[in-house]
This record gives sequence, structure tokens and C-alpha cells, in this order.
Amino acid sequence: MLEISQLKVFHGVIEAVHGIDVSVSEGQCVSLLGPNGAGKTSTLSAITGTAKSTGSIRLLGEDMTRLSIEERCRKGIAISPEGRRIFSNLTVRDNMLMGGAMRRDRAALLSEIGEWFERFPILGERAGQMAGTLSGGEQQMLAIARALLSRPRILLLDEPSLGLAPQIVAKIFEIIRELKSRGITILLVEQNAAAAIGVSDKVYILNNGRISRQGAAAEFGDGSDLMDELTGVHS
Amino acid sequence: MRFLPLNSAQRQGLLGSAMLSLLILAIVGAYYLWGESYQARMLYAVFVNLLVVVGLQVFTGNANITSFSHAAFMGIAAYVAAICVTPIAMKAISLPDAPWGLNAFELSALSAALLALLITGLLGLATGLFMARLTGVGVTIVSIAILVIVHSIFLYRTDIFKGNQALFGIPKIFDLPQITALVIVAIFIARAFRESAVGLKLRASADDEVGARAMGVDVFKVRLIAWVVGTLFFATAGIAYAFYLGTISARPFYFNFVFLTVSMLILGGLRSVTGAVFGTLMISMGLELVRWLETGPVISGIKFPEVLGLSGLLLGVVIVAVMAFLPRGIMGNREIEDFVKRKR
Repeated sequence: MLEISQLKVFHGVIEAVHGIDVSVSEGQCVSLLGPNGAGKTSTLSAITGTAKSTGSIRLLGEDMTRLSIEERCRKGIAISPEGRRIFSNLTVRDNMLMGGAMRRDRAALLSEIGEWFERFPILGERAGQMAGTLSGGEQQMLAIARALLSRPRILLLDEPSLGLAPQIVAKIFEIIRELKSRGITILLVEQNAAAAIGVSDKVYILNNGRISRQGAAAEFGDGSDLMDELTGVHS
Repeated sequence: MRFLPLNSAQRQGLLGSAMLSLLILAIVGAYYLWGESYQARMLYAVFVNLLVVVGLQVFTGNANITSFSHAAFMGIAAYVAAICVTPIAMKAISLPDAPWGLNAFELSALSAALLALLITGLLGLATGLFMARLTGVGVTIVSIAILVIVHSIFLYRTDIFKGNQALFGIPKIFDLPQITALVIVAIFIARAFRESAVGLKLRASADDEVGARAMGVDVFKVRLIAWVVGTLFFATAGIAYAFYLGTISARPFYFNFVFLTVSMLILGGLRSVTGAVFGTLMISMGLELVRWLETGPVISGIKFPEVLGLSGLLLGVVIVAVMAFLPRGIMGNREIEDFVKRKR
């Protein structure tokens, strides 16, 4: 479904990712793990079009590299960005509406928003509140729901567990597992290796802008032998 | 249908607009019951300002980009409407040297107003094509340039605009009922815009432009729409101004007026239509009070000194104080109906 090859990502003159290949098949959850600064978020930025890149990014065989950010969204790429980045001055409900900003079927969109409010009652209770007043976990749920309201082909999740309490992290991964069981294709960027491997079909380890290891999730066990690679310490 | 069903924010918008309209009607009602005739002129001026400030909310408020060119668009519409509607016989006296046969035709009030809206709207579109591409400070600077350029044209093409002299002889077409109706319609439109799909996308892009684009928002398009809609509000205000006063000159369409209206919006809170209305009413009342103090009144036997220029000082103080202590204005993100609906 998503085929990335020879991807290099640039921030100004600095090359953050040095030519990686990543592929995600329909219905799969694929993890991109690695220490801080490995180039995980850069890779996602290249996919959404917010960072400059060379190489090829294909979604369902169609080349994305020349498309603008908004055109890529219309082709079916949705992201729950690092640090949530919900619209803090919009209400929770307006944030949800923004998720479906390019959809024409308003009635269906409104009823889907209603379904999300049933799934996350806390968001439903706060529908009219400014999203900036939500807790981190609530904002993460909102960011995921908002991304899915665009009915994407592929969902990119950038560190959904970052800065959240352990029981909230467990809840977020429960949601990811459920999304996967509904057949949603996911590319997950995480530092929490054990939890990410637990929900994934395939794992890539990214280090210093290069893929140092890749394979089926089962090969990685519980991720405990990855400590060296993920902390960036090379023995 | 793309616009139906209304979402709950849009239903609340209708309620809020109705409440603000009642407030406007109450003010007009109070004038008819207890007001003195000289206050009609004052109230009319407040309502013209209200049209402008509500129009400012459409672009500046929702996009969170400050712009100063509104007085120019208002002036253009006022002059177009005035020149078109003034009878030929009158123009022979007031505009004897006008080129291109400007003093050789006259239009009905309705056609004059529509032509003024059309011309101002087209200029709004032309400038908007640049504005919508620029980022925050760029818009502000270019908007000042537009204001200065248009004002210079008003001043130096005296054959058409009379410069600082009055262009007189405009028939009086509007009175309090008409401007009241316009203000109410403007409030409903501004609020409907804020809660519309375009308004929502614009507010989201003000919060996080890249984030909004990642949700498929064409930021250029929504900014352009808001800019042109705002321009039409300013044009309406300009037409209403010319249709009441009987004479216009270039001076009111410049920096003083720009700062007055911008401080009204800032005080009320630029994110909210209610803020635009409250800010306008509060500064207008405050200025009346200050104008009275300026003259050195006698209060309970004590003669206060005459302090000329106090009103200008007050505006400056309001802008600085609000920026410092209430950066989001009185209303912040709230609208009037938030006061009455149950907290959820």
C-alpha cells in the first residue's frame, strides 16, 4: 500500500534521513522504532509533505512526492502528529469537524463524530470545550479520532504514547490494536518498543537516519534485546 | 445538501446572533423612547462602526492576521455610491471638473449601492489574491500601503473626490431603521461565516497552518474568501455612511478611523463576533463619556478642567491595557450564548 524507497529527508541543508526503504501492506500495522533524533518524525514529515525529501513515496502505486500537503491528505494520508497538535483554540467538536474538512458527506461525518463521542465519552462531555483544556491523553484520543475522520487509506501515528501516564499509554495501545482489527493500515512511530512491537506486524529500527534492522514483529520478541539500538548506544 | 444538517455550533450561532440582534433592537428602542434627536446621528455613527468591526472580525478575527486597509475599502464604496447617486444638477456644482462623464449621470440608490459593492468587491478580490498568499506581518504592511495609496488618490484627485473638501449634495437615503437592519443582517452573516466550513478551516489555519493543510485545507482559498467577504462588509459601511451624512470627505477614511475600529475589535476579543459587537458599543460609550469630560464639565459643583485630546489618549490606553492584561479581549473564544447555555 505504502512503498517508500531511497527516501532522504532534509531540514534545510541537514540530511536527517539517508535513503531508507519502508513498505506497509494493506491492513498492516508497521512500527518505526528508534532513539531520539533517529529520523522517525522526519520520515513521517516527508510522507505528509511537510519536510523536503528525495526518493519515492508511493501510496497505492501513485507517486506522492510532487503533491502538496493538502493533496496528500486528499489521497488518503492522515497523521496524528507528534505532541498531538490539536487545534487548541477550537472546540473538541470543531477539531473533529476539521478531521473531515474535505469530506462532502456532512450527515455521515456528523454521525461518525457522534460515534467517536460514544467511544470516548470524556470527549463527548467536553465537545463544546476548547481542545486546549483537555489532558494529554484526551488530546491524543482526539488527535487519533480527528485523523480517522478523514477516512484515510493509511494512518500515521507519531509517538502517541509520548508523555502519557502508563495506564493511559495502555489505553492508547488498546485503541491502536482495535483500529488494526478494523482493518486500518497504520504506520506507527514510537519509542516505547515493547508496546509498539506488541501491536505490530512488522518492525523497522531506525538509527542515525538509516535502517539498522527490520523484520516481522515476532522476531523482536518483547523488544528487550533492542535496548542498545534504541538508546543509541552501540556496543 | 452540503450545508445541512446544521451542526450544534451553527445552531448556537443562530441563537447568539438572535441575542445580539435583540441587544441592538433594545438600543434602538431605547433611543426612540427616551433619546433626543441629536443622538440619532451618534447612534448611526456607532452602527456604521459596528458594520466595520464585525467585518474586521471576518478576516482579522478568524485568520488572526491584523489588517489596516478597511478604511480604504470603506472610502472607495462611499465615494462610488455618493458619486453615482448624487443628482446631475447637484454634481454640476459639487464636481464641475469630473472626468469620464462622472458628473453626467445619476443612478438610483439601489443601483448605486450595488455598483459600489461590485467595485469594492472586485478590488477586494484583486488585493486578496496577494494578501491571501502573504503571511502575518506581510499582510499588515501591505494593508497599510493600500490604505496610504487609496488615501493619496482621494486627496490628489480633487476633480473626482474633492480631497479634504466635502463632496456634498448626496441625497439622504438611509436613516436609523435601515442601518439597524443592516447591522442585524451583518451580525447573522458574520456569525454564520465563523461557524461555516470555510470559517472553521480559517480558524484552524490560524491555530496551526501546517496542521490545517495536513487536513486538506487550502489555506489560500479560505483566506481569500474571508478577505473578500470582509471587504463587502466595509463597502456596506461606506455606502451606509454616504447615504446618511449628505457629504463625505477623505479625512474620515484614514488612520484615526482604522485605529478606532481596530481597538474596538481588540477590546471585545477578535475571535468572537460577540466581542466585535461588545467592543464597538463599549468604546463608543466610553468615547462619548470622554468627550463630555474633555469639555471640562461641572460635576456636583466642581468645575473640571478642559482636557482636549483625552479621547485619543484613551484609545491608546485601551489598546495597551487590553494587550497587556486581556490579550484575547473581553470575550476571548466565547460568544454571547455561552453565558446562557448550560456548561457541558
